[in-house]
Amino acid sequence: MAETVRVKKAAVAAPAIGPVTLLRIAIVVTLLAGWELLAASGWLYRDVVPSLVAIGSAVADLLMHGEYYFNLGVTAGEIGVALLIGGTAGVLVGLALGANRFLSKAFESYLYYLGPTPKIIFFPIMIMWFGVGPGSKVAMGAVSCFFPIVLSVAAGMRQIDKVLIRVGNSFRANTWQMVQKIYLPAMRHPIINGIRLGLGVGLIGTLLAETKLSNKGIGFLIIQAYSLFDMPRMYAMLIVLFVLAIGVNALVGRLGGLDSIKRA
Amino acid sequence: MATNTSQPILVVEHINVRFETPDDGPVIAVDDVSLDVAPGEFLSVIGPSGCGKSTLFNVMGGLLGGYEGRVSVAGETISGPHASIGMVFQEESTFPWRSVTDNVAFPLELIGMPKDKRIERARHFIKLVGLDGFENRYPGELSGGMRQRVSLARTLASEPKILLMDEPFAALDEQTRLLLGDKVLQIQQDLKQTTLLITHNITEAVQMSDRILVMTYRPGKVKRIVNIDLPRPRTSEIVGSEAFGRYVAQIWADLREEASRGMKDDETRTMRVDEARS
Amino acid sequence: MTAMALNRRYSLAPLVGLLSLVIFFVLIELLIRIGVVNRFIVPPPSEIIASFSRVILEEDILHRFVLTATECLTAGVMLTIFGVAGGVLMHRFRLLQQACETWVAAMASAPTVLMYPLFLVIFGRSAWTIIMMGFVAALPPVILKTLEGLSSTRRVLINVGRSFNLTPSQQFWKILFPAAMPTIFVGIRLGLIFALINIVGVEFLINFGGLGALINELAERYDLAGTYASICFVILVSVLFFMSLEKAERWLRPFE
Repeated sequence: MAETVRVKKAAVAAPAIGPVTLLRIAIVVTLLAGWELLAASGWLYRDVVPSLVAIGSAVADLLMHGEYYFNLGVTAGEIGVALLIGGTAGVLVGLALGANRFLSKAFESYLYYLGPTPKIIFFPIMIMWFGVGPGSKVAMGAVSCFFPIVLSVAAGMRQIDKVLIRVGNSFRANTWQMVQKIYLPAMRHPIINGIRLGLGVGLIGTLLAETKLSNKGIGFLIIQAYSLFDMPRMYAMLIVLFVLAIGVNALVGRLGGLDSIKRA
Repeated sequence: MATNTSQPILVVEHINVRFETPDDGPVIAVDDVSLDVAPGEFLSVIGPSGCGKSTLFNVMGGLLGGYEGRVSVAGETISGPHASIGMVFQEESTFPWRSVTDNVAFPLELIGMPKDKRIERARHFIKLVGLDGFENRYPGELSGGMRQRVSLARTLASEPKILLMDEPFAALDEQTRLLLGDKVLQIQQDLKQTTLLITHNITEAVQMSDRILVMTYRPGKVKRIVNIDLPRPRTSEIVGSEAFGRYVAQIWADLREEASRGMKDDETRTMRVDEARS
Repeated sequence: MTAMALNRRYSLAPLVGLLSLVIFFVLIELLIRIGVVNRFIVPPPSEIIASFSRVILEEDILHRFVLTATECLTAGVMLTIFGVAGGVLMHRFRLLQQACETWVAAMASAPTVLMYPLFLVIFGRSAWTIIMMGFVAALPPVILKTLEGLSSTRRVLINVGRSFNLTPSQQFWKILFPAAMPTIFVGIRLGLIFALINIVGVEFLINFGGLGALINELAERYDLAGTYASICFVILVSVLFFMSLEKAERWLRPFE
């Protein structure tokens, strides 16, 4: 009966422009107006809070020049390769740890405890190993994204409902069929989630490495804007970067069907 | 056993509850239900799933508004949760962050009873439900049956005039259910506790009740009220007696029809949802 | 019998793990000694171990540790206050939650720490840049977990509260908040870990403050063994931090 009550409420609360949208608009307008006032007041040092017009034109400026797309391509390439390396390694190691209890007992706790440690501090080593070019950035990204992927794949494999495996065995499925028809579909959620987490931290690893030492890439552009004290450009770059990162994250989630698995 | 001579303590008059659902349109959950409970009486409300008995429980407990009709306790119309009514819920409802003692002492804490007094009081009720020795355990360490006894003790500790229980043993296995039934019977007899039990279990209802109110499947109406004339004090041993079997058979005859209507309804609903999807 | 044999087999596993780690380092040492691996890229593990005492004694490591710990603590206190308050507010005002929850979730997936040059302009090269960065980067998970804990309180517990006629404030303090506590702890633990990661990272990047800056300084001095040793030290500190948070969480929740 409680369910019917809830359904009723949900059905009632769905007008065209609801109070939620209004509140959102109100919050955004208040923030923007506050920002603009702060910019005009001159209370803070000059340029720390540039006017919205300046930021807007900096965004337009950024998006209209090929330079940004070149650097975006460099960074995207680095992240892509990093995800490929770190992700493949992560999935393979994760499967091994998930399948074999002995391996998991022997090694997983190391990975578990190394997971939530700062990765950027490995950058000096990566520079020594892979040079100052894109190689060290790729390495940073790969190291960063490896951990969340390993851990969620291993945990995901162990969390598969044992009865599904018994069902597979009862139909005498062979190993390959088991992997293809039972394990992978049952693990889709944790794998996609691991990749999403991995992408997030891999992105941060790569970009931070670029801000520390590089001559191309988005991270380099950001730190360049900082050293030139070009605040509107820096804001523009951060805004575009955030929009891209949030968008890609949502896209991976959507493609992986993270929304549709709720029933399981 | 029903003390029909004295004034009823709980009176439910002409309750109607309607829900608006997107799939089935307006559904009448409870249709003109009236009942009364005499002091010290044990009344059970029995019906198939979907007969609106849980809705009725929420109405009587004051948790659900927006119904037609009147619920009154000792002559006073209720408009929300009433101090005279103590509720025991179907779902696991102990506070996992409180020890058994602190769980049971919860209602005493609310009325501002000093700490040592309420612990003493709580111990009394813990003992009553047979959980002495577990005072300092946390619900996470107890079995489902023990946790349900903690909930019962917590409600009893508020010393309600009427104990209102919604399928309190539904999640337990049959043996535990019978033994807990004994416990409840014994407590009810010791405290002369007026009790209203919502259930879908015929054995449980016959084992414990003075009267059983049988409800119809959607819309939930009163189908029949059966007086159970079995000797008291009772225990679960009565389950084997011939008279017991007769009562069970009689109530099942009433319920069978309702339950099969509910089953058919579920089937058509599933088919309709399938059609809507394809 | 079989179960016992199995258990014995698994009880050996941690030892095997540790042994393979030791063998790995011995192997590296050997490869460096015979010249297969360049010792100016990878210093021999023995040299790294030897330089530990040097790093600890000469680099004022206790002071740096206290500095980083203070930054973490400050960020942690701010996180707990603002994060939990944010979650409670969003739970209390449903409209606010509907309007902002996706925004907070989006911020949780944004590379917030890339704002450190901006913070550098706003707060200067000071501990506040580092603290604020740690705070901002770790805030979303604390808010989201608090909100999750409060909204996933089981309906029947709320009904128990209603059946006892609790006032709204009793309902919050006696039911909602304790019920949400375990999830809120998870949020605070996540927040503290994120804060530590970002604080050490920013220290390293802007070369200011405690342990992160130490790594940067040693690397810039081309003190190879020292760099490796200090990295090991920082990893050790964060692992211990993580472990003690887990312990604390278990200690604070005796009922599970």
